[in-house]
This record gives sequence, structure tokens and C-alpha cells, in this order.
Amino acid sequence: MPAPAAEHVPGPAPAGPFAARARGLTKAYGAGETTVLALDAVDVDIVRGRFTAVMGPSGSGKSTLMHCLAGLDTVSAGRVWLGETEITGLKDRELTRLRRDRVGFMFQSFNLVPTLNALENITLPLDIAGRRADPRWLDRVVGTLGLRDRLGHRPAQLSGGQQQRVACARALVSRPELIFADEPTGNLDSRAGREVLGFLRGAVDDLGQTVVMVTHDPGAAACSDAVLFLADGRIVDRLERPTARAVLDRMKRLDTGCGPSGECGGPAPGPERG
Amino acid sequence: MLRATLRSFLAHKGRLLMSGLAVVLSVAFVAGSLIFSATLDRTFGRLFASTAADVTVRPAENLDESRPSGRIATLPAALADRVAGLGQVAAARVDVEAGNITVVDARRRPVSPTTGAPTTGANWDPAGHRTVELGSGHPPRGPGQAVLDEVTADRADVRIGDTLTVIAAPGSFRVEVVGIAAFTAANPGTALLFLDTPAAQERLLGDARAATGISVDAADGVDAGQLKRRVADALGPNAYTYRTAAEQAESDVQRLGGFLDVLKWVMLGFAGVAVLVGVFLIVNTFSMLIAQRTRELGLLRALGADRRQVRRSVLTEALLLGVAGATLGLAGGAGLAAGLIRVMNAIGMHIRATDMVIGWTVPVAGYAVGLGVTFVAAYLPARRAAAVSPMAAIAETEAAGTGRPLRTRARAGAVAGAAGAAALAGCAASSPAGRAAGLLGAGVALTLVAAVVAGPLLVRPVIRVLGASFPALFGAVGLLSRRNALRNPRRTGATAAALMVGIALAVGLSVAGASITASFDRQIDRTLGSDFVVRHGNSAPFPREVTDAVRRAPGAGLVVPARYAPVAVRLPDGERVATTATAYGPGLDEVADIDYAHGDGRAALAPGRLAMDARFAREHGVRVGGTVRVEFQDGRTAALAVGALTGRESAERFRAPGGLFFGLATLERYAPGGQDAVLYVDAAPGTGDDELRAALERSLAPYPHVQVRDLAGYKELVRDQIAVLLYLVYALLGLAIVIAVLGVVNTLALSVVERTREIGLLRAIGLSRRLLRRMIRLESVVIAVFGAVLGLALGLVWGVCTQRVLALEGMTVLAVPWDTVVAVALGSVAVGIVAALLPASRASRMNVLAAVAHE
Repeated sequence: MPAPAAEHVPGPAPAGPFAARARGLTKAYGAGETTVLALDAVDVDIVRGRFTAVMGPSGSGKSTLMHCLAGLDTVSAGRVWLGETEITGLKDRELTRLRRDRVGFMFQSFNLVPTLNALENITLPLDIAGRRADPRWLDRVVGTLGLRDRLGHRPAQLSGGQQQRVACARALVSRPELIFADEPTGNLDSRAGREVLGFLRGAVDDLGQTVVMVTHDPGAAACSDAVLFLADGRIVDRLERPTARAVLDRMKRLDTGCGPSGECGGPAPGPERG
Repeated sequence: MLRATLRSFLAHKGRLLMSGLAVVLSVAFVAGSLIFSATLDRTFGRLFASTAADVTVRPAENLDESRPSGRIATLPAALADRVAGLGQVAAARVDVEAGNITVVDARRRPVSPTTGAPTTGANWDPAGHRTVELGSGHPPRGPGQAVLDEVTADRADVRIGDTLTVIAAPGSFRVEVVGIAAFTAANPGTALLFLDTPAAQERLLGDARAATGISVDAADGVDAGQLKRRVADALGPNAYTYRTAAEQAESDVQRLGGFLDVLKWVMLGFAGVAVLVGVFLIVNTFSMLIAQRTRELGLLRALGADRRQVRRSVLTEALLLGVAGATLGLAGGAGLAAGLIRVMNAIGMHIRATDMVIGWTVPVAGYAVGLGVTFVAAYLPARRAAAVSPMAAIAETEAAGTGRPLRTRARAGAVAGAAGAAALAGCAASSPAGRAAGLLGAGVALTLVAAVVAGPLLVRPVIRVLGASFPALFGAVGLLSRRNALRNPRRTGATAAALMVGIALAVGLSVAGASITASFDRQIDRTLGSDFVVRHGNSAPFPREVTDAVRRAPGAGLVVPARYAPVAVRLPDGERVATTATAYGPGLDEVADIDYAHGDGRAALAPGRLAMDARFAREHGVRVGGTVRVEFQDGRTAALAVGALTGRESAERFRAPGGLFFGLATLERYAPGGQDAVLYVDAAPGTGDDELRAALERSLAPYPHVQVRDLAGYKELVRDQIAVLLYLVYALLGLAIVIAVLGVVNTLALSVVERTREIGLLRAIGLSRRLLRRMIRLESVVIAVFGAVLGLALGLVWGVCTQRVLALEGMTVLAVPWDTVVAVALGSVAVGIVAALLPASRASRMNVLAAVAHE
């Protein structure tokens, strides 16, 4: 890949305290009377160098928020910035390049390429970009995630936790400005889940990364620096330095349809999904 | 990215197997035909170059023979002495060669190639360059001795000392075999009989002072081109044809080429069908692989691969497939060529397989075809892959190629269909054959595109009808299999398209073939008025003594000979048309019912007169009574007056524009020395048909190559000649079906993989293996029958339109071979069952638990 890779030096933060911002972010599905508002004029700031969790009941729009912030999905209205770049209105090509160079992803179902081994999966974003991995950084990431003796294995030969660690390494390897993790512990047992959360925490504390994680597990959210609560497409609450108990408390109020101010609304939503 | 592509290719290699086979077949046929024809070209080029003299003098050639006239063009043998006297000439020799003699042994069995290749009689020239050398015995001396080539001698079991009868234009004569000649190099497949030079002149040409050519050897250090100019200057540049050894070899190869060209085009036809059908298979495979990998592609997109990279990745996979397929195909092509060479050897040619020529064009063409096919076929799926949204990586459910709206297809299909229908209607209505054929081609191409594009739209309505009885007949399994076939109309449509193309081509061609046969039948019925027709087995002309024998047969009444003559007519509108005219003996109207628009047979055959087709005359401004200049072989021209015009369906019009004919006497006057090709024989009053037939057969006993046929037999003969075309059509159909079966197998196999979980579920709730197999089999049959139905419909339309174009050439009867149509329809059921064998057994062997847990 030519020029852009050279222009953009990946790694934490140029100027500005926010890794991503959105103003009046609205996402509607369908048209006319059947319109569903997944996001309703959301304003959000993701602070650089922190671990932000997004929580909310099923259908609250938390995944949509993440997809819109990451430039995976288009928005219906409003503006979104990634660092200093406004991504609303960018063409597919520019968005793709932006994702490639400045954003990392983790998914609930790991999403590794089954035909590539662990190391090849980790370096895949760099391969796509036509860049070489910084060997010291790669070594550090692999070491931190404890994958050193698993690099030659195919995904099918790895446990779920190991697969998600590979996905985590893949998200870290290009030193993105922002890592989005979509229910990264959703498919893992609790021990493997804790491990992965520990790595994400470490990525923020030790490697200076910025992480946004969508989750429905209060325990997972408790690992973050701040939790945003979504309901019905709006940010209804936030919690700094959360604990599992505090998160659970807030969630209960949301789940029973009662907002933070106490008034109760619609029916209870179904079981949580990714 | 390249690594991911390579890994993906290797991981899916099993699924690409069928597509690969299609590529292998296409490339094999292309490479095989190129290797084969290059090998023949070089073998014979070398052979002819080694046997040609430095300079050859031949009679001037002004008209090509599309039908043999039986004439042997000669020049005075005395020219040899004149040429020998020129400076720079080392030697000049007389050549005698008669290309169409018949040799029979003492028991009146033909000693000629069984393939219909001619037997050539030539002079044995001790000093000349020959394709043979004496193997045993001695050279022929005097009129009663001959040398025969060893291949023919072996085949016909002829030994030295045997007596043979040679039937040549001037008359039959007997010779004793005194030597057997061995081929020094390749053998072009003809039988060779050598006489000494005076005997050859006398017996083969009927003129001791004639020769068919002069071979000139150059003195040391004289260049062939220089010598050619010198000889030409001495004899008159336009009086004869002069060729250097290289030119002569080229001309000989070309003369041999007709037959070889046919083989080449047949092979290329097969390659074309393989390519056409293969494209569908590959499109489908890649579409399905991409549908199955939507999530993976979405992930690549989410990780920052741009559209171009995804597209390139898919195309790279396609190119890898193309390279692998083309490489195997090239090997297969070499094998095919080797096989063909063996076949050629088996029928009497001698080509060493070690002489196989694989020029640089073979790999270039092979890889161009292989890569081209896969690239073109994978392009659309690759674009679709590039359009996969990164959101697909996150989506919970995997949407494997579910139906996007088919609106664009409907529109494109309707446009192409309308244009194609218009072109076909236009071709049926237009009159100049050239334009009609062009419209037909455009119409066929456009309707094919329309059928392919709109095929998926027809899946629902057609399969609903085809499978309507399934639920009643096969219960829940029947219902499921019908639903499965309907599930993804795009996929079903594309799978069936492969079969459709093959069947449409074959049905179209067989309708055309049947119409040609029926037209000839009717034409023979209408025009043939004689009791019997006497003809050579492969419509070659025969010597005068055969005609005499027929005339002398007891009970033979009127005998009307027909002879072909290449002519060129200069028409009033200034055009020069080269064609083949037919010369008839007196009494034509007694043995043929010709539809005259003006005049009659007497007026047509009178001295200095000719007849032609009324429409041809009108188009070129010819009027009855007007004269046209007719150029004969040897360059003599005559002004002939138009004595009669024939209406539609004048006899023997096919391949002879203008339908020209005149009296035998007229031909004898301007171009003497031809041989009769057909004799129409009527019984004398009071003689029964059977009686005459027996008498004719007795009289023709010495000439085993000439046969007596009555009306039915004559039709049979014509039909057999056209049947060769039909065999070819069936072979093409066979190949198309093989590839189409690969396509159905492919689709079903990939569907089974895709539906692993669903199949596991069905098994878990109690579907037996047998029923599961039946479900897949029924789905396969439905797809195959759907393809066959579309193919039959398209093929019938094409066939009918082709017949309309042929009607302009005189083939006015439309015949639809319903037996073929029914056989194809039933055959498609068998195709479906065969194609389902493998996928069904694979599905039924799945482990239920593993299948249910399959992601």
C-alpha cells in the first residue's frame, strides 16, 4: 500500500483530549411509519487513553453507537469525529482506510480467519495495509497476551479464550487510536473472560491505548474507567470508576424500565443479545 | 492479503474442483486442436517439402473445384525437354498423377482406403523425390506392372505377383504387382499405385504426350526463386503455374488441409462449448463460495481491506484456479492430440507421435483461455464480494446469498430478450441470406444472454409447475426438495443455465439438421423422376466405361448423366460469380421434375444455352434470351444464352449459387475430359424395376465403388451424409452435459455444506438417510429438468429461425426431431439423478450431532 500508511504514524494521540466524539448522532432504520430510531440525537465524547464501557438493555442502541463511531455503519443524522477527523460524509474508500489505520476491532465471536494461523491473523490488518509489523511492538503484544507458543496454531486448534486473545492482539498490533470491542467476553467462560478484560485493561494502562467496549456483563463493565448507559437510543446515565455492584444497580433500574430519575416506562426488554 | 488469498484458495480447493475440471476441459480442447493441427502441418509440410522438386510447373489453375469434375488438368510432356534445355537447370522430369483412380483386386474387392481417402496413381520416376522407396520387388517396367504402397498392400492383403484392376478415367486395365513401396516419412492417408512413366501417361491420362506437371531440378548453386523466374520467362508467365519447392509444399498442405481443418474446427467447437458451459459453472462456484464467506469478507472489510483489495483477492483466487486448470488442461491437450494422432494412424496415416509440435502458441492460447474464462466468470462474483459490508462480520445470522431483488435482472433480461426476439423475427423475415444469417447470430446471442440473465426469474414459476406433484408423490421430502430448489433462484438459475446452453445448442442444431434432411428428402421426392440413381459411394465421379456399362445393361432405358463443372459467370450487373454448374445429358425432364419459371429442359440443354435460378437471374439482371460469359476450367470462355429459368427448389442448389446447368455437349465442347458423377436411369418399356436393378448390379459388378440406388436408397445416402453432422451435434451435447453435470454436482455439494446444520436437524428429528438422499436427488432432478425445459424452448426457437435462414438456401422444410426432444427431456431426469449421487451420499453420511453443532 502506498502513501497513506506513511503519512499516518499509527499510535496514541496527536492533539486533543478526545479519541472520538459524536454530536446529534441519529440512526434510523426503515422509513415512514415503521421507522425505528436506534440512536436518537446522541452526544458522546470518548476520552483518549481511557477504557470506556457502553451498557444498556437489548435494543438500546449500544452496538449501533459503536458501529457508527467506528465508521462501520452510516449515520442518519449528526456528526461523528474520530480524533480530529470528521468521519460522517467520508466515502467508503476513506472510511476503509481510516478503519485500517486508526481503529482496532474485537468481536463477540472472535472472527478469526480460519485458514490463517494465529500470527497471520494478528498481522492481517497490517498485511492488508501492506505494512510490516514493528517487531518489538508485535513481540510485546504477543508476550503480553501470552500467545508466544500458540502463534503457529490455526483458530480451530485454539480455545475460545485463546482465540479472543488473538483477536485482541490483532486489534492492538497496528497501534490504533481507538479499539472497539463488541461483547468481547460474550462467548467466553468467566475465567477466560476475566483474562481478556485484564488484557484490555493492560492495553489502556500499560500501552496507552483507548478502548470502547460494549457489554452487558456488569463485571466486565466494572473493569472500565467509565460506563455509559444507553436506553431507547439515548445516553441515559454515566458512571465514573464503576464497581460491579454500582453497575448492576443502575442496570436494574434500566431493566425495570425505570430511568435514573425514578419514573417507569415501557415493558421490560427481552434477554440481552450482542 | 496475498497470503490470506492463497490460504483461502487452498482451503477451498475441494470446492473448486468442479470449476477446475471445466477449465481443464476447455483448455484441453483448445490445446489439443492447436497441437494436433500444428503437428499435421509440420509433418506434411516437411513431407511435401522433401518430395517437391526445386521448381514445379503445373497447368494454370483458374477455378477451384468445390465438387470434383473428374477432369485431370494436363500439360504437354514435351515441355520437360524444353525446360531441360534451359540454363541453370540440372534436370526436368515429367510428373503424372491421377488423384482419383479405383483399384480392385482379382475378387473385385476395392483396394482403397476405407476412409474414403482417394487412391492416387502416379508415375514411378527413379530420379524423382518420392514419399516412398522400394521395399521389395522391382520398379514397374512396361504397361502391365505396378508398385503398390505397403500400407494399402497390408490392409488389402496384396502381395507381389497379384493382379489388380485399375479403374482410371480412360478405362480399366490390369496390372501385376511387381513391387511394394514403403513410406519414407509420413503418409497423408492416400493409397498409392505406381506405373512406369509411359504407362502412366497412356493409362491414367489417356494421352502418351501429356503430363500433369514438370519437376525441375536446379543446377548447383542456383536459387529456386531465380530458377522459377527463368522457367516462367521461357514458358510464358501466365501459361502455367510455377512453384518453388516451398510454395509447392504449402499448396499441397493446403489441399490436404480441408479435411484437417474440419477436425480442427470440430475440436475448437468442443472447446467453445466447454468454455461457454464452464463459465456458468465457475460463476456459480464463486458466487456460492462468496456467499458462504460473507462473514469472513466482512471481517476483512472491517479490518480495513478496501473494496479493491477484496475484489482483487477473489480474482486472484480465480486466476490461481485458471493457472492450475490451464496447466492440467495443456497436459490433457497434449494427450488428446496424441490420441487423435493414434486415430489418424489407425485409419492409415503415418504420423510419429514423437513429431508432436507444441509451439509457443499452445501455452499462450491455453493460459489465455484458462485465465480468461476464470477471470471473466469470477468478475461479477468478485464485485459482489467487494460490495459485502463490513457489518456482515458482526451480523448474527449469516445471510448466505439470500435473494436480493431481481429487478435489474428482469429489466436487463427483458431488454436483451426483446432485442434478441426482434433479431430472430428479422432474420425470419429478411431475404438476403447474408443479412439473415447475421441477424440469426445476433438473435441467438441475445436470446441466450436474456435466458441466462432472466433465468432466475423463471425459476419460481417453472419449478412450481415442475414440482407441483412432488408433495403428493414424495410427501414432506418432495415439498422440502422443491422449496430447496426455489430457495435461491439465482443459484438454481445459474446451475441450470449450464445445462440450458448445451441443450439449446444441440437442439437448435438438430432441428437444423432434421430440416436439412427433410428438405433434401422432399426435394428428392419432388424432383427425382428416374427409377434408379447410380453414384459413387462418396459422390466422386467415375470413368466413362461405367456410364457405358450402365447404358448396355439389359433393360436400361433412358440414361441421363450429370457432371459437375467449376465455372465462373460474368453477369450483366458486372459481378463475377464462381460456382459449380451441372451438365446433364439429353432427356433431363424425363428423369427430373424441375420447376421451370421459364422455358424447359430442352431449351436449357440446347447447344450454347444454359439455365439458372430465377431469383439469382433477377438479382443480377439476367433475362431469358440474354447471354452471359461463362469461364470454364483451362480458361476457355463461352457466351451462353439463357434458355430457361428455374423456380424455387431447383435441383442440387445447395452450395452452388445460381443453380446453373447446361447440356453435357456444351461442357464437352468447352471443358472436355470430365467424368460423370451421377447417372439417372429409367427402365426400358416392359422392364420391371427389380429386373433392371439386378441387371444394373450385374453390369456394375466390376466397379464395386459405384452403387445403384432407388429413390429410398438415394434418400438414405443423402441422409447418411447429413447424419455425420448430427453425430457431431450429439457429441457436443454429450460434452455440454458432462460439464453441466459437474455444475449440478458442484451446486448440490456446496448447498449440502451450507445446509449442514439444517440437514443435521432433519436427521435429528427422524429423517432417514434414504429419504435425505431422495430429497437431494429430487432437488437435483428439478434443477436439471428446469435447465432442460429452458434449453429445449430456446433450442427450438433457434432451430426454427435457423431453418428460416436455410430456407433462403432452398431448405424449405421445417422438421422438428421430436424423438430427440423427448430423449433430451427424459435424459435430463437421468442427469439430475446422476448429479445427485455424490452430494446425496455425502449428506447422508454426516454425523448428526456434529452437523447440528456446525457453525
